[in-house]
Amino acid sequence: MNAETSLAAARAALPPRVARPGARRVLEEKIVIRDLSFYYRDFAALKRIGLALYDKQVTAFIGPSGCGKSTLLRTMNRIYDLYPGQRATGEILLDGENILDPRQDLNLLRAKVGMVFQKPTPFPMSIFDNIAFGIRLYERLGTGELADRVEEALRRAALWDEVKDKLRQSGLSLSGGQQQRLCIARAIAVKPEVLLLDEPASALDPISTQRIEELIAELKSDYCIAIVTHNMQQAARSSDFTAFMYLGELVEFDETEAIFTKPREKRTEDYITGRFG
Amino acid sequence: MSAALYVRRRRRNAFVIGLAVAATTLGILWLALILFALLRNGIAALGPDLFLRMTPPPGSKGGLLNAIAGSLVLTLVGTAAGAPAGILAGTFLAEYGRGSRLAAVLRFLNDILLSAPSIIIGLFIYAVMVLPMGHFSAWAGAAALAIITIPVVLRTTEDMLGLVPAALREAAAALGAPRWKVIVIVAYRAALQGMVTGVMLAVARIAGETAPLLFTVLNNQFWSTDMNAPMANLPVVIFQFALSPYADWQRLAWGGALLITATILLLNIAAHLIAARSSSSR
Repeated sequence: MNAETSLAAARAALPPRVARPGARRVLEEKIVIRDLSFYYRDFAALKRIGLALYDKQVTAFIGPSGCGKSTLLRTMNRIYDLYPGQRATGEILLDGENILDPRQDLNLLRAKVGMVFQKPTPFPMSIFDNIAFGIRLYERLGTGELADRVEEALRRAALWDEVKDKLRQSGLSLSGGQQQRLCIARAIAVKPEVLLLDEPASALDPISTQRIEELIAELKSDYCIAIVTHNMQQAARSSDFTAFMYLGELVEFDETEAIFTKPREKRTEDYITGRFG
Repeated sequence: MSAALYVRRRRRNAFVIGLAVAATTLGILWLALILFALLRNGIAALGPDLFLRMTPPPGSKGGLLNAIAGSLVLTLVGTAAGAPAGILAGTFLAEYGRGSRLAAVLRFLNDILLSAPSIIIGLFIYAVMVLPMGHFSAWAGAAALAIITIPVVLRTTEDMLGLVPAALREAAAALGAPRWKVIVIVAYRAALQGMVTGVMLAVARIAGETAPLLFTVLNNQFWSTDMNAPMANLPVVIFQFALSPYADWQRLAWGGALLITATILLLNIAAHLIAARSSSSR
């Protein structure tokens, strides 16, 4: 056994660490992930991840394709549970409650932890109903109140002015960028506490991307936001904290400025400077 | 590139295209001949009488009113009973049983039912309904048609739900929607046009079925809306009248055949139009 592997073995035996760069500031921990591993059948896609996400902050996850950043996001609302053969071990504490507990009510969890996906996924129904669908799941509202909530969500997603005259039209009739903002509106309409964004702008043109980024900055004041992105500039521009992941491991997690100006790990620096990826 | 090789390839290409066109023409030719024969023989029977008068005794004037009404009732009841079962079973296979062994076995059994000769289904209903009841009835006929409907609708429902992207289900689930709502509100709506197409194709299929009706509903010379008694219907009337020696019965049989074919053709065209619209809107 050479020195490097024995060091790795020694590291693996240590109690799992939770990266908490925010401890230097006064921040409220919204999600704490401890010793999280994730498996697609036998393949370990995440290896003993530990980090904390803060409320009213944006945390970006970067790393090359297949590094597990989307997988990590998909554990936080347990959307992976839709598929047999996928399982997670360890702990994910949302306000102190372990959501990996088998007794966790998944529908309630997902109402609290909203998600927006890479490709826009408008439902095949009207713009209004796309938003109302989620609201109706957990609230009984009168027609007027419901309309107010739909308008509020669309306004927050900066889509209201473009669709206010065609709320009865199909959500599929919108452009790609509008569809994605519709999906964000749909996610925030149910008033979640955490917002997971899985490469929300990767399928969009630059102008739509900019709008989405402005939107993220806007929404930050109310939510704990986690965003997966392939775009380093986007991570640098729109996040407070950045996690760099590689081959299923959390390599480095720090304030975004620190990650992009003085990364501690060689691999982080190589990735950020474009030497590999 | 050698010019000779190029010329040879072009010739071979032209030859194979010629074969393909000839084969296609041969295939379409029979459909065209059938339609032509139906039109030529059936047009004489067309007229208000066909739709307004009952099936006549030999030698007197009449129409097919009772048979048309009977066929409508049988098809309607058969579809109403078979389509929901097919849709629910298809939903199970596509949404709950995906990848499971049970689903694979059920899918295989359904494919067998899909290709089962309809006369077998007629015999089955004869044995389990007609014999115990002691008489032919419209209920038995509708039951036989329902059994034919189920595998057709099941198959199309499963296929159409299979085309609904997983991302759409994830998006609905990510809002906290329970599974049944994901299916009923989102997946069904995305697959709706395809599922409607499937039901219409099933209707087209059972509207012309004869064999399962011979053993179950039989026929009725008169107007009857009693589901518990034999009922007139187009396929069996055509069968009976066409084989008869009477010229006016034979003419009515041609008229009925034309009517049934036109209806099925229209249903198929409608189903294809719906399907085309759904694929272009994605």
